[in-house]
Amino acid sequence: MAAKQADQPPREDDLTSTIKSLALKAGGDVVGVAPVARWDEFVPEGYRPYDILPGAKSVVVVGTRGPTMGAWKCPDARLMEVNGYDFANDRAIHVVANHIETETGLYAMQAPTLPVAGHQPLMSMMLAAVLAGLGTRSFAANIILNPKYGLLYYSAAITTAELMPDGMLEQQVCPAPMCVATYRNIGKTPCMAACPADEGGCLDGSIDGDGRIEEVYYDRERCSTRSMNFGINSFQKALAEIIEEQDSERRSAMINSDFFTRSCTSMGHFKESVAQCFECMRVCPIGRAERKLQ
Amino acid sequence: MTDADISNPRAYKDELIEQATRGGALVAGVADVEAFHMAPEGHRPTDLLPGARAVFVVGGAQPRAADWRSPNAEHMETTSTSDRISALALKLCHYVERKFGYYALLNPPGVDRGGQPFMSLSLAAELAGCGTRSLAGPILNREYGFMYYAALITTLPLPVDGLAQESVCPAPECLSMWEAEGTTPCLAVCPIDNGGCLGGRLENGKIVDSQYDRARCTIRTNGNWVPGFQKALGLALDEPDGERRKMILNSTMFTRTLWSMTYSNVSQAQCFECMRVCPVGATHRNLN
Repeated sequence: MAAKQADQPPREDDLTSTIKSLALKAGGDVVGVAPVARWDEFVPEGYRPYDILPGAKSVVVVGTRGPTMGAWKCPDARLMEVNGYDFANDRAIHVVANHIETETGLYAMQAPTLPVAGHQPLMSMMLAAVLAGLGTRSFAANIILNPKYGLLYYSAAITTAELMPDGMLEQQVCPAPMCVATYRNIGKTPCMAACPADEGGCLDGSIDGDGRIEEVYYDRERCSTRSMNFGINSFQKALAEIIEEQDSERRSAMINSDFFTRSCTSMGHFKESVAQCFECMRVCPIGRAERKLQ
Repeated sequence: MTDADISNPRAYKDELIEQATRGGALVAGVADVEAFHMAPEGHRPTDLLPGARAVFVVGGAQPRAADWRSPNAEHMETTSTSDRISALALKLCHYVERKFGYYALLNPPGVDRGGQPFMSLSLAAELAGCGTRSLAGPILNREYGFMYYAALITTLPLPVDGLAQESVCPAPECLSMWEAEGTTPCLAVCPIDNGGCLGGRLENGKIVDSQYDRARCTIRTNGNWVPGFQKALGLALDEPDGERRKMILNSTMFTRTLWSMTYSNVSQAQCFECMRVCPVGATHRNLN
């Protein structure tokens, strides 16, 4: 179906308001808008929204909560490894992009998030969330924390539509007051204590006298080997070992092992490939009120 | 929060059933968490969600009447998955949490360690009164026969439906066949004593014995999914000849295993023969 060509372009505040309503109705928990110029300060040339969509003027970012609160309560960590993610943010962003293209005749596309070379995404959703005013970086693996919900999953749409931008958050979400108090007492925040870099974990850092993040340390390699045990990475690792194995009987045992079966399953059941460790987020107080139910 | 009366669990249940039906479920029921005592420890609802009070089961998303009509068996192998019903159950989980304010978690589809499910969906469907076990294995709904199920475990108190009073299987037609020929349609299509997977015996119109060769069934019904991939990979790596190895890796069989793992992304079977001949729900499969 051809896009409707509006007689005159919609007012940017009207369009922005419609888009935000649609995104929330489609399952988004939060939605924000950033003008593309905000990327110039942080991202090298070639990787900015207007490099991906020529003529782009705005980026719409949608965040969703991911695991149900019931899943957070499950004592079997494996359950959340499988059930953590439901793509609601992707669905919402497609509703937004479809609306822009069909109702205004302007371009809109889902921002590319998967790595195409190395481990770098074409466009960082973490940065997009920060620039759209939805959250700020945290001590916990640099995860972007939203002030109301804490951990969220983000998707974005790049569009040639001129939209009303949201301001970036002026106050850092992390550390929460309780984490500052914990840090003052034991020298670590709850997330650092759950996964301390000096005891084989992934996180470290310091808080300054004003209660703000002073320094962050995140061992990405160590974290990825723990949080991504099942998925493409584990499949590749296991496959290399299987090919190296000379003994046919042992090779057959490796191919039919629980580990390889789960690696294969996780590639098909793609939800697992996001991450399988939530411990730094489990202890994070941001958004805890939203996770507390009856 | 909901308009439903907090002191009236029936109102919650009605609202949930309405949402489920609107989302495409054909049946819905509630199982008592205490009734899962026959499940192994670690696989009961309260093991997965401490404080759980109910298991809400939805069923539907089974192959369409036209799917059953297709003479191309590969068609249903690639189009029939439980994705739709699982997605609906997850949507209901969010509904319970965001509208009612109680915890809810989706029992993951498929299997985990050792090929075991987190919680048996067959057992949940049975305990919620959605259907009963059949000679062929699947839980058959009285009206629709074979369907896919999904379950959410919740702390929301809901009135329990409990086990169905009467067994759906054997259907009267199958009983007549048993009396005449000593077999049923499903047993005849896949007889365990003739290389198949199913066996059993009826007495006084009821199932008194059933046999199911799970291992044999698995290698036939999961020919193109993860087990098929593992088998083909093992064969390819065992093959010393480079040209033949390349042929295995580029074969239709290997290509299909990769498609089935990524495209049909939930563990599903590729053999429907015992269900194809099942008379339960046949009226819904026969259209103009």
